Amino acid sequence: MKKIKGNSVSAGVAIGRVKIIQKHELHIEHKKIYRREVESEISRFKKNVDYVINELSKLIQDYTYSQENRDILESHKLILQDPDFIDKISKLISEDLNSLEMAINKYFNDAIDIFSGMSNKYLAHKINDFEDVAYRLLSHIMDERKDILEDVDENSILIMENISPSFVTKVFEKQIQGLCTERGSRNSHSSIIARSMNLPMLVNTLGLLNNVKDGDIVIIDGNEGLAIISPTKSTLGKYNAISKKEHNIQKNLLKLIDVEPITKDGKKIKLMSNIEIPQEIEQVLKFNSAGIGLFRTEFLFIDREDLPTEDEQYEIYKDIAEQCLPNALVIRTIDVGGDKLSNILNITHEENPNLGCRGIRISLQNIPVFKQQIKAILRANTCGNIKIMFPMISSVEELSKVKKIIKDCSNELINAGIAFNADMELGAMIEIPSAVITSDSIAEECDFLSIGTNDLIQYTLAVDRDNQSISDYYKPTHPSVIRSIKITVDNAHKIGKKVAVCGEMASEKKYVKLLLALGVDELSVSPGRLLLIKKEILECNIEEMKAKLDELLSCKTSKEIMKLI
Amino acid sequence: MIRKTIKIVNKLGMHARPATMIVKAATKYRSDFKIVKSDMEINGRSIMGVMTLAAEFGSELELVADGVDEEFLIKEITKMFEDKFGED
Repeated sequence: MKKIKGNSVSAGVAIGRVKIIQKHELHIEHKKIYRREVESEISRFKKNVDYVINELSKLIQDYTYSQENRDILESHKLILQDPDFIDKISKLISEDLNSLEMAINKYFNDAIDIFSGMSNKYLAHKINDFEDVAYRLLSHIMDERKDILEDVDENSILIMENISPSFVTKVFEKQIQGLCTERGSRNSHSSIIARSMNLPMLVNTLGLLNNVKDGDIVIIDGNEGLAIISPTKSTLGKYNAISKKEHNIQKNLLKLIDVEPITKDGKKIKLMSNIEIPQEIEQVLKFNSAGIGLFRTEFLFIDREDLPTEDEQYEIYKDIAEQCLPNALVIRTIDVGGDKLSNILNITHEENPNLGCRGIRISLQNIPVFKQQIKAILRANTCGNIKIMFPMISSVEELSKVKKIIKDCSNELINAGIAFNADMELGAMIEIPSAVITSDSIAEECDFLSIGTNDLIQYTLAVDRDNQSISDYYKPTHPSVIRSIKITVDNAHKIGKKVAVCGEMASEKKYVKLLLALGVDELSVSPGRLLLIKKEILECNIEEMKAKLDELLSCKTSKEIMKLI
Repeated sequence: MIRKTIKIVNKLGMHARPATMIVKAATKYRSDFKIVKSDMEINGRSIMGVMTLAAEFGSELELVADGVDEEFLIKEITKMFEDKFGED
């Protein structure tokens, strides 16, 4: 038995037999070209190299990669930009009449020969990189899309170096038990998808590939972030029991797909999904979510060198909005710290990004970018039921500015003769204490409120939740947080506006009752948690909980509140 | 034209990371830039070339720059070698 630590992407246990997925072999045809083909072959070379360089640049900017990985990718990029590389490939094509594939193959094979004979082990190691670069380039050129999963048994656990988002979807569709990647991070697109599908997955399991062979029994413990190879009988027995229990829970949850989320005392709760990337819509539909309560659009902006155009955004919003119909899609305008966008926007370094230019502030400082997003949303609203929501609102002033900009955008679209629909509900995120205190005025200026509990807790308690040393201070049930939610709900209800909670608190089973008793109308949770929260709603009696509300609101500590719920 | 002989003082020698640093720095200048090691001469803007030198700790290289900004180029690259490419 051997244990290898990784980072857990989604909770849950999976047990299966190892199936190592290697990069598939590329078959290079040994084919000479005619002299008249030289020119087109060289232009094909330039085009493909440019594409791959661009792809590498995007990867390098992906903040989810470690600095070390970025350095490696940077050196790959330099190889493709190397004047000698370009020169030699051109000669291999124009003088020796090799096809592009053969020229690349030959160039890197020669390099591997030279470097593998070197005594400097750091350089000898470099041959892996040459293989990587050659592979990346050739696989793009040859566009091979063989189905690697064709003969993989569903009782398998896939072990690979890295995985693409589309491949995660395939793994899920084939009902494969789980997967581990040696690289990657919890926040990559692939991980987000795996999480929303509840697919057991570990990332960053360094050394795993060297310790397994096809057919070995392996356990993925997503709760502890562990891969256990060739477990002992007793360990296997223990995990079999856990896995069986989890399967039963999951099986029972799936029965709830078509059940309406109505509490025991008969109140129907609107239960929606949060999504980060467009691909998650599949899970939203599968679990019968009442639309999307939060589409975080920042993923369209980060991890790239240029800004997404209005048309590009329009296509994405339109596509998701159409699929959501008849339910609504709530689009939140870009909400990210300036540090994540420094590559595409002009942003100066900030000492304290959490209190700096983020959320709506970024949008209001970069009006052209903001307008593109608003116009794309206005246009997409012709094909769906879209609501727009603004992050980090701290006062009504920002809302007035935003409304003026929406009006300007509408006028510009009219003048350009482009179809749009400005009939769209407008919401404010309540996540800053000043917004809670003035939520009466804010509610008057918009159609709905949505409480982002993660930031509300962070700003109310002055706690950075990623700071391990003060994690004890991060208390979702701190009396100030509970009272803030109550104030917000009461202020909105006074004038007939609704309040949703889209923060992580809504995805936690233990807080559902409390939120509903406080009067929250709608919950928006990650798709993977939807059925679990639905089950909690079905078992909840709001009136019973409301009877305890006065007592709850007079609690002095988070501990007292936790005891009551 | 400037020629300057330098000694490799970082323990790990001329591996991938120093090579990346040299090429990235050299790309900022306009002068021709070559690196010579015994009978081998390579383009200082070619990462494959710089790595092929496989220069070990203690070995000597000659930097050759030719052009309008040759002085600055040599100055920056020399400093990288002297700073052991950030290794300790």
